[in-house]
Amino acid sequence: MILVLQLAVAGLATGSVYALIAIGVVLIYKCSGVVNFAQGAYAMVGAYVSYVLLSAGLPPILGVIFSMAVLAALGTLTERLVLRPMLKAQLVAVMMVTLGLLIVSRAACLIIWGPDQIAFPKVFPEGSISAAGIFITYNYIAAGILALVLSLGFLAFYQFTPIGLQQRCAADNTRAALAIGIHVSNQVSLAWAMSAALAGLAGTLLATLNGLSLDLAGIGMIAFPVIVVGGLSSLVGALIAGLLLGVLQSFTDGLLTPALEDFLRAHTSIYSVGALQQVVPYALLVAMLLLRPQGLFGRRGTERV
Amino acid sequence: MALTASDVTIHFGGVVAVNGMALDVMPGEIVGLIGPNGAGKTTFINCLSGTYRPNTGTALWQGDELIGLSPSALLRKGVARTFQNVASLHDLTVLDIAKLGAGVRRDRRTGGHLLDFFRSDRALEELLMESILAPLELNDVAHKPIQTLSYGRRKAVDLARALAGDPQLLLLDEPVAGLTSHEGMAMAAAVRDVRDRHGCAVIMVEHKMDVVMSTCDRVAVMAAGSKIFEGRPAEVQADPEVRRVYLGEP
Repeated sequence: MILVLQLAVAGLATGSVYALIAIGVVLIYKCSGVVNFAQGAYAMVGAYVSYVLLSAGLPPILGVIFSMAVLAALGTLTERLVLRPMLKAQLVAVMMVTLGLLIVSRAACLIIWGPDQIAFPKVFPEGSISAAGIFITYNYIAAGILALVLSLGFLAFYQFTPIGLQQRCAADNTRAALAIGIHVSNQVSLAWAMSAALAGLAGTLLATLNGLSLDLAGIGMIAFPVIVVGGLSSLVGALIAGLLLGVLQSFTDGLLTPALEDFLRAHTSIYSVGALQQVVPYALLVAMLLLRPQGLFGRRGTERV
Repeated sequence: MALTASDVTIHFGGVVAVNGMALDVMPGEIVGLIGPNGAGKTTFINCLSGTYRPNTGTALWQGDELIGLSPSALLRKGVARTFQNVASLHDLTVLDIAKLGAGVRRDRRTGGHLLDFFRSDRALEELLMESILAPLELNDVAHKPIQTLSYGRRKAVDLARALAGDPQLLLLDEPVAGLTSHEGMAMAAAVRDVRDRHGCAVIMVEHKMDVVMSTCDRVAVMAAGSKIFEGRPAEVQADPEVRRVYLGEP
């Protein structure tokens, strides 16, 4: 029982980081119709930028905020320099370009920082709490809470502020938004900026949990099962599905894998099932596409990727 | 002079949709724009409102050139328009749309977006409910998604959206087309009421002659892209040429 609780808490922590990344993907999709494969690149670059700033001796809060600002600028630049010239191109072509961006930025980070994993500077205090038999590090708690608060804060921003309203209008019907005087291209730039900043923060948080390496770029891929489960056009769906997937992965790692391995060792010569938790999101993706392609919260008729 | 449009010409390929059109509108005046289908009325409005860019022509509004400005820039200058067909926005409520109308205008006057973070929405919402939505009988549906409303009420929402921006020049494209006669009269009354309260200049493209006659101070008649007549509503009805090309001579 205690193990279940502990796994759930750890799962929620990583899940809320997934949610941050997936929210960014959904935001860009809603506003510009593009499924952004470069989201993982923003997470990776965000982590490296944070690493540089923190290693330079900036206080953690400032370092993280600065790195989010840098990523926001990077997101805007991507939109202005890469996406805008492709405004009339087919969406599939634009998506392929975002995939290219992912590869290029990974290579750039490889040149600058090398292939080895780097120890990430301390952002949160060391230590852990153990209550009711649950044992969990401050790191996990802080990362989870920060990601969750930011996700919720962002959803509130999107729902309740005048800029959020303009964002929603631009996402709802671009041509109508243009006609009634909304500066849609600015709103799209803003969506890319916010999305990249959120992903950058998510990357930084993941680096505090698991260390800093190029593999962070792969986290962008987990966003796809998340948004398929949540529904491609639903920000709330992205949040909930992110948490769900985090918990599911954690349970798989802590409960299913050991049970399965025990069973297999007893009856067969198979010794290990490998990293089963990495398979779960994609298995869920396939199941979801078969059973309910629009996702838990999505609207019918949204695009499939 | 509030609005002076002159020599506005636009062609699409070989088709000259608007040809040397000129129109003056004073503050507090409602000018009707009538004419047969394809006369270029809506195209002319589109030229003034930034949807199309005419090949030639000027439109001076309080000394500023309107032609070439984007819809968002025009709104900040106090030029708002409504649409013949109401754009569909799925998720937004009536009040949301009114807020958008107010928001796109507010941009410049208050120093931009950043301030909006800290401003309470409640005051704005109450103001919009009272001064914009109530006169258009939209109060009771303020929190409903626009998708659920009838066509007539959606047009009222579109007008509310334009009015929320506190315009000084209002371009209305067939505001009562497709409405029931009750809705149409309410809409026409709302337009007159807005003019009386805000003193804004109104250009109204409309086919329903009873509405045109009862609402407009002056009527311009277009045919084949040009203005063929301009005068008071009664004069328009009496003019033989207008009767021939538009109203229909028995």
